[in-house]
Amino acid sequence: MSVLAPETQSGPPPIEVRGLRKVFRQATSGQSVIAIDRLDLAIAPRDVVAIVGQTGCGKSTFFDMLIGLEAPTEGSLRIGGKSPHDDFDYFRGRIATVFQQDRLLPWRTALDNAKLPLELIGMAEDEQNKRALAWLNRLGLGQFINAYPHELSGGMRQRVAIARAFAVQPDIMLADEAFGHLDEVTAGELRDTFLSLARESGSTAILITHQLEEAISVGDRIVVFGKSARLLADIHVAKWPKEQYALLREAIQSTLQNNAPDPRLTQV
Amino acid sequence: MAPDEYREPVPSFTFPRQTLVSLLVFAVFWEALSHLAPYLGIPPFAVPGLLKIARSIAAITPVDIVVTLARVVGALLASFVIGLALAMAMYRSEKLHNYLHPMVRILMAVPVVSWILFAVLWFPGVEFRIGFVLVVVCGPVFLIDTIDAMRGVPRELRQMMQSFRPTTYQFFVKLMLPAIVPTIFTSWKVNISLAIRVVTIAELVGAVTGIGHQLSVAQELFSVADVFAWTIVLVVLLFLLEGLLSRAEKRLLRWRP
Repeated sequence: MSVLAPETQSGPPPIEVRGLRKVFRQATSGQSVIAIDRLDLAIAPRDVVAIVGQTGCGKSTFFDMLIGLEAPTEGSLRIGGKSPHDDFDYFRGRIATVFQQDRLLPWRTALDNAKLPLELIGMAEDEQNKRALAWLNRLGLGQFINAYPHELSGGMRQRVAIARAFAVQPDIMLADEAFGHLDEVTAGELRDTFLSLARESGSTAILITHQLEEAISVGDRIVVFGKSARLLADIHVAKWPKEQYALLREAIQSTLQNNAPDPRLTQV
Repeated sequence: MAPDEYREPVPSFTFPRQTLVSLLVFAVFWEALSHLAPYLGIPPFAVPGLLKIARSIAAITPVDIVVTLARVVGALLASFVIGLALAMAMYRSEKLHNYLHPMVRILMAVPVVSWILFAVLWFPGVEFRIGFVLVVVCGPVFLIDTIDAMRGVPRELRQMMQSFRPTTYQFFVKLMLPAIVPTIFTSWKVNISLAIRVVTIAELVGAVTGIGHQLSVAQELFSVADVFAWTIVLVVLLFLLEGLLSRAEKRLLRWRP
């Protein structure tokens, strides 16, 4: 039986989060920890959204729920009306992720790593090779398709990871601190590449980051999470003139530090 | 300069000079001892000369080697398949793991001799007895090594794989099995050595073919030369199997830095 995802009919679906709550029970103490507390959020198709928040604010839990690895305790997270957790198979080939570390499989060459999601959706091998090769070429790795991950630099490995994510042509592209571990120049290049590819492919892109500069430079919107993923601010970056980006950064910084919206964010 | 460029090229074959010298010294010592045995109060049959051992090696029946080899390889393959299948099921089901793991540990603590006695008492067929003993001794080793290796696959890789939504079959075939190949090879190496020793003991009891049986015959005939000859065959067999395994390991794990 083929598990090939059906062609998307009309672009990526909207993401709707209503009253989302996630509570974990600690194995050692038995205490409950509220990772996400009644989050409401809507993300339109093709939006590029940066989610910022301090460490432990629930960003990663939200990310795991978007991927479908965690189920909500209460509320709902729907993508085009379907749950990424309950309708797990439906989203095969529709959601792709670039992680903080490249997470390449060390026993696979660059080409085989880029092919992985295509194998999972049951694409014909010829087509897999063609498509993975095209994406690797596009990311400047045409000379390294037969190299194993340990033979590549950190930046090159992350390029393979980006090729792997885009190869499947997903509706939703997720990036979890995907460039934070790289040097500034490489991170900047990859960020720009990622962004242009996301826009070009028409995917909805959600980036989780702790770097405000990164959030401001890539996001159409910046969603600021407080403790337990409380929505502190939802900023439409286009409304801010570039000369006021420094003020925007300060206001977000203050929002994060005080766990309360900074009044300057509503001035624009 | 990359660290690799400092490395000396590794020669494909190194002449085992030290090994040959130590073997030669031992052979000379043994030959001398065989001549001096009567003067040292040792019965001559206990220390046969090298020529006598060589004659025993020349008289070895290949069919017994083939039979023992077939028993070892067959039982190891069966143990591996059973161990791997159970490990996959235990990885999928925490409940199954919690029930089976203590039982497997208990099985591993049972001495080989006890298994042989159980096999003799329970099963009439010689082949089944030998196969049972080998599988019950080697299977748990494969199982424990495999489940531990599966649980040791980095969470980051498992999460990455899950994010692409594989089927259960794809999850195991594309991630878990390739990830545990190095452990599987280690487990095979341990089990080959174990199986060679266990099969010999198992064949001592009731078998009419195989190296263990021939060792039993040699013991009845007080032929130390024959015991030596068959022991040498066992050791060579073990080295050959390990050599084949190492070649396969090098080929399959060529991705390792």
